[in-house]
Amino acid sequence: MAALAISSCGRRALLVDDNVINRMVVRKLVEEQGIALEEAENGKEAVELVKEGRVFDLILMDREMPVMDGPQATKQLRSLGVTTPIVALSADAMQSDKDSFLQAGADDFVEKPLSVDKFALVLTKYGLQDGQAADQ
Amino acid sequence: MDLGNLQRGYIDYISALFHEMEKGFLDSQFTQLQQLQDESNPEFVLEVATLFFEDSEKLLNELSRTLDQQAVDFKKVDAHVHQLKGSSSRIISNSIGAQRVKNVCIAFRDICEETNKEGCLRCLQQVKQEFYLVKSKLETLFRVW
Repeated sequence: MAALAISSCGRRALLVDDNVINRMVVRKLVEEQGIALEEAENGKEAVELVKEGRVFDLILMDREMPVMDGPQATKQLRSLGVTTPIVALSADAMQSDKDSFLQAGADDFVEKPLSVDKFALVLTKYGLQDGQAADQ
Repeated sequence: MDLGNLQRGYIDYISALFHEMEKGFLDSQFTQLQQLQDESNPEFVLEVATLFFEDSEKLLNELSRTLDQQAVDFKKVDAHVHQLKGSSSRIISNSIGAQRVKNVCIAFRDICEETNKEGCLRCLQQVKQEFYLVKSKLETLFRVW
């Protein structure tokens, strides 16, 4: 499943999360920032979107998902040459889970829930507050 | 009931609910959801809550069905509980601030890992109890809102 919200600001994000409630709330959060959002229900869908040629400025990747989890998807995306910032999202993750996600190629790890403030910090960190897309 | 009384009633109810935060009925994540509600989407919290109720009831029914089998698929049980925990924990993603449901789900997953069917059935009863409690409180809140 992939849903695209069109925005005029040029920034594009991919949300990879199997939870329908999570996607609904993050969608609102992202759209409030004027960022176009695509969604994938698991890591495999995310990898397929990239293989189809989709380009993103930011990827928000959940850790635990069916079919393909976050660390596996991250590893595959990196092996495809994707340099987009990947922010790992997880609730109640142990340090070893965080470490393996970062070792798989994630740039950052944010504890769920992703709040308005945490998301603003992510956007600032990856230069997405000013609406300029990162080169890939 | 005039508007002033209605607003006072709402404020009193919200205060009471947040006092109950110490007992864990709602948590600060619910406030985060309210922050996302605005004029362009004035019913956002209600929409999230509605989806949470529908999705959770589906998951609870699936859990009952799965645990009713002779040979229980504990991976499936774990997957459903993981979903329920995710929705209850608050999303941004998270959801509705149903902290107590989340806490029971954490315990549920541990029991599931032990492939303890009786334990899982007890957890299921507990999570249903907590879920319907949250649902009832939130439904009351939205009626007053």
